Amino acid sequence: MKRRTFIQGLAALGVVGSLPLPLSRALAADIANPVSVDDLPKLKGELTLYLGRGEGGLYENVLQAIQKKNPDFKLGIRRGPTAALANTIVAEAKAGVRRADLFWAVDSGAIGLVTDAGLAQPIPGDLSAQLQPQFRYKEWAPVTGRIRTLPYNTSRLTKDQIPTSIMEIADSDLSIGWAPAYASFQSFVTAMRILEGDDKTAKWLKKIKKRAKTYAGELGVVMGVERGEVDIGFANHYYTLRLKSGKPDAKLDLAFTQNDAGCLVNASGVLALNDDPLATNFMRYLLSKEVQGYLASEAYEIPLVNGITQPEGLPSLANISPPKVDLTQLADLRPTIDLMRSSGVL
Amino acid sequence: MAIIYNYLLDFFAMKLLFKPAKTLGASLLLASAFMAQPVLANGPIGEHVNHLQANLKSYAEEVEWMVGKVDTMVSDYDTKGAKSVKTDDLIEYWESVKFHSAIETNFVPVYASIWQGLYGVKMAIDNKQPAEEVRKQQKAMNIALWQGLGAVKLAAKFQQKGLLDTVKATATKEMTQSATIDEIKHKLDRVVAKFAERLQDEATEIVHDTYLHLFEGVEGTLIEQDANLVEVLEKDFNVTLPLAIKNSKSVDEVRDVISDMQTKLDRAKVLIEKAEKARKDVF
Repeated sequence: MKRRTFIQGLAALGVVGSLPLPLSRALAADIANPVSVDDLPKLKGELTLYLGRGEGGLYENVLQAIQKKNPDFKLGIRRGPTAALANTIVAEAKAGVRRADLFWAVDSGAIGLVTDAGLAQPIPGDLSAQLQPQFRYKEWAPVTGRIRTLPYNTSRLTKDQIPTSIMEIADSDLSIGWAPAYASFQSFVTAMRILEGDDKTAKWLKKIKKRAKTYAGELGVVMGVERGEVDIGFANHYYTLRLKSGKPDAKLDLAFTQNDAGCLVNASGVLALNDDPLATNFMRYLLSKEVQGYLASEAYEIPLVNGITQPEGLPSLANISPPKVDLTQLADLRPTIDLMRSSGVL
Repeated sequence: MAIIYNYLLDFFAMKLLFKPAKTLGASLLLASAFMAQPVLANGPIGEHVNHLQANLKSYAEEVEWMVGKVDTMVSDYDTKGAKSVKTDDLIEYWESVKFHSAIETNFVPVYASIWQGLYGVKMAIDNKQPAEEVRKQQKAMNIALWQGLGAVKLAAKFQQKGLLDTVKATATKEMTQSATIDEIKHKLDRVVAKFAERLQDEATEIVHDTYLHLFEGVEGTLIEQDANLVEVLEKDFNVTLPLAIKNSKSVDEVRDVISDMQTKLDRAKVLIEKAEKARKDVF
């Protein structure tokens, strides 16, 4: 196992002792400026990318734009569910073949499957230095982030009525909406297992289950909160932002817990499977200020490089303190599913 | 039969009027109308579906055979009574013909109607309905079969011109958001087909997978355009349609729910295309 911890990047910067960092501090940390695509090397040659299904086709737009900007570059793309592609990459490696040069996954857990198998190439230091310090990994580059949030109904609650501890929410009298079958929710439970242990997580799940209304997906959760069916929900941040964009008078706002799985920042990510500089240069395009800005404004994803405007409607990140979790550990989903089943949640 | 064939021809010709067949757009349009599906409920598809033209004669013979077998059964029921027939044979007849997968891979709405007609005959006999009622169901089944043959003949023409996708085991195509809406509508047609086959669990699973893997990918964009429309479709996917299937309503009732959803999805497609056009460039 090649597990690294979340804090490796910070160790190099000598700020390990201050973890977990509020994002506001991280933003102030030593970080290289993002690069414009106009300053990046032209791509020439061919690569094959395995692409996990992305945000409603917007990743496809990015890939098309990169190819259009580089007429001498040909990108072969294989598309599929992220976890399935990760398993394919590992299986192909075991069979002694490598069909993919790059893997762009919507979920960092899937990245972990590939890095744990020792198949990813090291990321150049200058590329890694463009990322926020807490998102620096040796063998993969997070592309954009998403935060776990507590959407709440503003006609039923004020923000200060919501506990800032995810564990305390289980003991509150709030009614809750959740989507336990949803992959993002399961990654959040995995983070809770890592941070709090299986016993506490199982107790938390059982308590929440007693008062929770189940929805098929997290947009459904957010809409349920807005309709007043429940007081709060568990969901990624962008569902609320998008609903408010389409319905500006929605009775909805976001609350955050502190330093726990309730405000986990997960990320999509890219890794190279060979040491061809073309693959590395392709990754630079994904971290360019143009791509980061596009995904922030169009997909409401959180840019992970410096100086890019946050998605419209996302509250100031100054007081948000995500937990320290090696995102690649979120690949360990089987024990989470088992725990959710034994707790009667799935 | 000529009338039905002309109807189908007109149906696709009308679509082609709006998008020339030589364009990629038309290929996608045809792919959505005649979407090939790798996983079927009743065993392997068979390579024949990639060579429709060469198999048209045998498909036509199979339809004739099927129509004749059912007619014999209904006649026996009429003259000799219910004990003289085994209605389970109807299902076996249908599942034994190659035409079965040819129509399932090429025109799912008619495929559903064939199953509906087949079960219409079976249930009418099992419930000891008068022969007139059985004949009525038989007629509906026959119409669906001939309509299916017409659709396969038309599909064969498009396949000859290279406008029909080869049936593949994996989907690797880029899927725009508006194309995703077409795929969702097609999956909903399959829900009717599986429900008509009396495969409720499979129908429900398709609804669930379509919601999670396809609708979820477009609802983010859609909710920015029309939050109420998303709300209604969310309810359709998660409550109305699963309940209609679970409560074993009639095929027509399930089809009505789905037709209503498809109308909403048409509106969703217009909104999504508008959003796609308005979206800023990456660079």
